[in-house]
Amino acid sequence: MIHFEKFTLANGLRVLFHRDPTTPMAVVNTLYDVGARDEDPNRTGFAHLFEHLMFGGSVNIPDFDGPLQRAGGESNAFTSNDITNYYDSLPAHNLETALWLESDRMLSLAFTSQSLEVQRSVVIEEFKQRYLNQPYGDVWLEFRPLAYKEHPYQWATIGKNIQHIEEATMEDVKAFFKRFYTPSNAILCIAGNLELDYVKSAVEKWFGEIPSVQVPKRSLVQEPVQQEYRIKTIERKVPSDAFYYGFKMPGRTEEGYYTTDLLSDVMGRGQSSRLCVRLKKELDLVAEINAYVMGSHDTGLLMISGKANEGVELEQIDIEIWRVIEELKVAEISSAENQKNVNKVRTTKVFSEQGILNKAMALCLHELFGDANGINLESELYDQITPKEIWEKANGILHEKNCSRMFIKAV
Amino acid sequence: MLDRTKAPAINPVELIHFVAPERIEVGSITELLWVKEVDDEAVKIDFIFNAGKLRDKKIVAELTGELLLSGTPEMTSTEFNEAIDALGGFVNIEVGSEDATVSIYGLTTTIAELIPIVMDAIINADFSQKEFDQQLQTLKQGFLIAQEKVSTIARRAFVEKLLGNTDYGRLTQLEDFSSVDRTILVDFHAAYYLKGLMKICVVGNIEPAIIEELVQRAKYLSAEEEHSFDYPFETKPACVYVKKDGAVQTAIRVGRILFNRKHEDYIAFSVLNTIFGGYFGSRLMSNIREDKGYTYGIGSGVAQFRESGYFFISTEVGKDVADAALAEIKKEMERLATEVIHVEELERVRSYSIGKLLKGSDGPFAMMDRYLAVERFGMDLSHYDEVIQTIRTITPERLQELAKKYLVWEDMIVVKAG
Repeated sequence: MIHFEKFTLANGLRVLFHRDPTTPMAVVNTLYDVGARDEDPNRTGFAHLFEHLMFGGSVNIPDFDGPLQRAGGESNAFTSNDITNYYDSLPAHNLETALWLESDRMLSLAFTSQSLEVQRSVVIEEFKQRYLNQPYGDVWLEFRPLAYKEHPYQWATIGKNIQHIEEATMEDVKAFFKRFYTPSNAILCIAGNLELDYVKSAVEKWFGEIPSVQVPKRSLVQEPVQQEYRIKTIERKVPSDAFYYGFKMPGRTEEGYYTTDLLSDVMGRGQSSRLCVRLKKELDLVAEINAYVMGSHDTGLLMISGKANEGVELEQIDIEIWRVIEELKVAEISSAENQKNVNKVRTTKVFSEQGILNKAMALCLHELFGDANGINLESELYDQITPKEIWEKANGILHEKNCSRMFIKAV
Repeated sequence: MLDRTKAPAINPVELIHFVAPERIEVGSITELLWVKEVDDEAVKIDFIFNAGKLRDKKIVAELTGELLLSGTPEMTSTEFNEAIDALGGFVNIEVGSEDATVSIYGLTTTIAELIPIVMDAIINADFSQKEFDQQLQTLKQGFLIAQEKVSTIARRAFVEKLLGNTDYGRLTQLEDFSSVDRTILVDFHAAYYLKGLMKICVVGNIEPAIIEELVQRAKYLSAEEEHSFDYPFETKPACVYVKKDGAVQTAIRVGRILFNRKHEDYIAFSVLNTIFGGYFGSRLMSNIREDKGYTYGIGSGVAQFRESGYFFISTEVGKDVADAALAEIKKEMERLATEVIHVEELERVRSYSIGKLLKGSDGPFAMMDRYLAVERFGMDLSHYDEVIQTIRTITPERLQELAKKYLVWEDMIVVKAG
């Protein structure tokens, strides 16, 4: 059970506070409700580029990291297709330094051209390092547009291509900030050995005067129901053939998300999962195989991916994968097999919520989904899922017309 | 009206609490370390074996580790995985140069059942031909994929130059995959696992009876002797370029043999390293990323061995700016030796480093790591008092002296791959 308090400032900023008397550190986590899905299709990669610019100085403070380091702290951030999340951790008695810095960059950035030019180069190097200069690095650049035809999930957070990052202008940067970086579009969580009254007054002091701006309601094109089996094969200079299957599934807050998550565990989480036992251990077809859900907020993907053993044809692997899928659609799994996955989810949850940073991030995310307390209800939701529901889910989504398949042939 | 240009007052960190784990004897040189102050159900147990890659060909140590939990005469690997998964447990094996660690992740309610399953698998591992063949294939695929990365190519060339005359410098070659067979693993297992348990580290709020039973079971695996970690470490400066067609980035490694925590200059040098390339505000990051935009990231560090250590710089940069980046790295290294560090920068590094130490000592899992980091060198937690003292008092002059002594460009091995 993760305890928390919640209050909202007059400008719309939602604030969560988790008290942990056992740690000398404090965390300030700020989630902005903006991700790559909110980008213009002709200016992709922007949410992520913007995340870099958030460290380039704010309206009253030329340098973000220096003052935080002087307070004994450090900071980082990440961008996904759905959200942008910033976090600072520092000794609890210096909490105000982080609030000062975070509130100033929520108020406004410095918008220097030096920062834009440098971060543009840094992000282009990141693009090369992670997506172009690695074997299989461009998988998601190729797979996303296959699975999504309308929804902005069709591009990765790094962007569709380097040109979009090269072409970003200061005007774009300012417009993006104005539109998304406002108190009512953010959720703040403070965690540490602190008192609620102090946290309230310190947050009010630094964030209270940031003007309230109405954020236009998000209206994304939703992905139409898939009607056909989408197949694509690409050739790459890689050591082994690889395969990727994506089945459309409910979004993170939609009915059936947790059931689909458990279904993916049955299929391919760990060495005793169905796909692993059949294709790797029994048939010797693959060196690795996994199934997992992407956790997207809008319509997501249940993925199966893996790499073929030397001399094995992908077509043969394909037949066996579909055979395992068909078995799941015929008979319900046993309650023991179901319980096994529920138990694994439980252990994972305990370990993934270790420390105040993980707790603060999870609280913000659940608040975005509608209620921070959702973090305390998840285990029970998993517990209640029955083999019958998993069987229904398998029959609902595991079919060709709901699937995109990509093969990478090694050349 | 709030003056936002004015920073809030900053208070220094007064005290860091270091708590030593409880120590329980398992064998003549084997101990169990236990941190029980955990406020939730999480339990992690690490078994550390004297079964690292120094003990044989790298691939033998790796394969034995990877196959350690892959079946016994009584239980197939799938049955083993089923048993662990049914309890919601996770297991992991890491094979390092000096040792190999088997980790169990579980909950207070399941750990007592997980322990005997894992220990039985370790003791009775039979390395069946089928499992061996599958694992060899997986390992080979991973090897071939890694070989395509400029970072791997650069690291291998660097290690070869730096440590080629010691067992730390042994690299896996493609031929190794066809020269290994299961009987070699059986022998390795007998020598380094069945008689190689050095330490058990438990973090978890569990019953003493579980610990007691664990100690009884582990006795039979206790190591009887320490193996040697002594080699002739020395750096021969060199420049290496490995070409990789089609690469859009160049990986860079620069470094030299240095020392580990036992050396009198280690703590002070760590402060110098932080300034140079050890944090986001470092000289290397400020110049090569935040000013020039040549890279997504660059850093430096000290890697420690039991009897030595080495200093390294690591980055991947745009192909066309690789030489410019190297010139800047050289310039930054020389600047530390020729210019005295500014007080303001040093103050920032002092505060950052103490904060980092505080954060790295936060929580039971971090505290176990803290303890192991000194225990490995025969030291105790009082070493951290010395660390704090040095961070607080080290002078700009002393740092310059260290730079002149240890950060000399001409002493470095320089590797480019791309």
